[in-house]
Amino acid sequence: MAATERPTRRSMGDRLYDAIFSNRLWRSIFRSGYPNTPRNQMLAVATNVFLHLHPTRIHRTHVKITHTFCLGGLSFFLFLGLTITGVLLMFYYVPSVERAYEDILRLDTDVRFGQLMRNIHRWMAHGMVLTVLMHMMRVFYTGAYKPPREFNWVVGVVLLVLTLLLSFTGYLLPWDQLALWAITVGTNMVGSAPLLGEPNRFVLVGGFQVGQNALIRFYTLHVIGLPLLAAVFMTVHFWRIRRDGGLAKPL
Amino acid sequence: MAAVRPAQGQPASEAVRGRMRRQREEELLVWPDLVFIEFISAVVFTILLVGLSVVVDAVLLDRANPAVTPNPSKAPWYFLNLQELLLHMHPALAGVIVPTIALIALGAIPYWDADHEGQGQWLSTPRAWANMWVGSIVGAFGTLLLIFFDDGQHAKLYERLMNASGVVANIDGKPNPDFNAWPFPVLRTMRDFQKNFPWDLGFIDLSKPIPLGNLLRTDLLGLPRLDLNVNIPAVVVEQMIPVGVMVGFPVLLSVVAQRRGLAVTRRDHMILQFAGFIATYLMLTVVGTYFRGLGLALGPYTIFAEK
Repeated sequence: MAATERPTRRSMGDRLYDAIFSNRLWRSIFRSGYPNTPRNQMLAVATNVFLHLHPTRIHRTHVKITHTFCLGGLSFFLFLGLTITGVLLMFYYVPSVERAYEDILRLDTDVRFGQLMRNIHRWMAHGMVLTVLMHMMRVFYTGAYKPPREFNWVVGVVLLVLTLLLSFTGYLLPWDQLALWAITVGTNMVGSAPLLGEPNRFVLVGGFQVGQNALIRFYTLHVIGLPLLAAVFMTVHFWRIRRDGGLAKPL
Repeated sequence: MAAVRPAQGQPASEAVRGRMRRQREEELLVWPDLVFIEFISAVVFTILLVGLSVVVDAVLLDRANPAVTPNPSKAPWYFLNLQELLLHMHPALAGVIVPTIALIALGAIPYWDADHEGQGQWLSTPRAWANMWVGSIVGAFGTLLLIFFDDGQHAKLYERLMNASGVVANIDGKPNPDFNAWPFPVLRTMRDFQKNFPWDLGFIDLSKPIPLGNLLRTDLLGLPRLDLNVNIPAVVVEQMIPVGVMVGFPVLLSVVAQRRGLAVTRRDHMILQFAGFIATYLMLTVVGTYFRGLGLALGPYTIFAEK
């Protein structure tokens, strides 16, 4: 810049940008600006509590959509979405045989966006069963279960079972004919196991037929027991992916 | 990565440095290349799911009533494959033993096939795609044929073709002598096999229950007397034949594939069996969901018709 040249006035856009991203509040939350150098981009990933699930660098083929179809990430995304919509649904739902069905009816008719929340929760739940199954197929067909990732595959199978159980326990909660009889059919299958079947069914249902005891058991498992267990296994699952050097690479 | 890093204190050789450089060149930064994909994917799926939820409401039927059993009563869709199995075999086998073994086998996959070949790329070993397709097609159509067989569809087809001129099976409630019935009543469905097979072999009548409690005299040991009557036809039809089919057909598939040079390595066999398993699972789920109606008889059905 020549010494005689007067500094140009900053444009409206620049000033707005600074007002939003350079004020004290913003800077106290996000300590650095937009990371636009490779070093800062790596730091952004490594130092952010949410992003540091990721490594800072990743193999070129692993960001191709057709390599993973985002299926594992989508399963996690759906789990988070189900947690959020599930918490909202819990505000309006009482797990008693006298109230449960009426609460769902009220949710669908009286509560603003209630039906929408229930629909999203339902479709996400079906979606999660599908994405978890497809994620398993992706990992199998890309040979990503091979050493050193054997045990992470086993953790994945446990997560598949937990996903099915989460969906199954949620199935009873609307307390309509579909729910009651699907759970009756399902728990009768458990009861047909040799020797331990009937005692197991009794513990699961809390009686000889699906009623109040079954509803409160399924509700408790659905909203706290199984999600906690799934969260623990997910933590191990993600941690091991990182420990094993990210996604499997061809040798 | 650690393998190519030079030991501490020693200068890296030119070759090692070259390898590290090449490996670096194959890598991208997670920010922005992965983080943005994840973000966009999350936004797209949020929009899709909210859109779907605006258009299609979740099913809600009448209030639960233990006194009224709907026909058909179905488990959630992802368990309908097991409910479908239940129609063809002993409940303990279909509801508990088969899924347990399937899950254990699924978990054990990496311990059978620890070879690094074909890792990190879609079906990259030499015969992988062929094995995937053969496994899927045999699994899907084999399952369908078995379901059709247990439903007597082959007998129905035969009778329809042989009586094309419009001869009916019964006239005024009596059997029509001109009707060309399926000539092997034993092989109509598995239930007919159980009912019509000549279980009386002359020297021993297998149709009579065998009182196992009379042989195993647990009462002599001070334990309660076993009230066990083994029904041989039921054991054969509900347990031995299904187990034979579920073990025998996959083994046969692998043997044939091995002979034909389709499956050579362990990974080949794994792909063949896994694809077969997935196809069987899907076919059972689809049939159980959309083709089991009143009384769980074979025919088109959808839950949305209930509303």
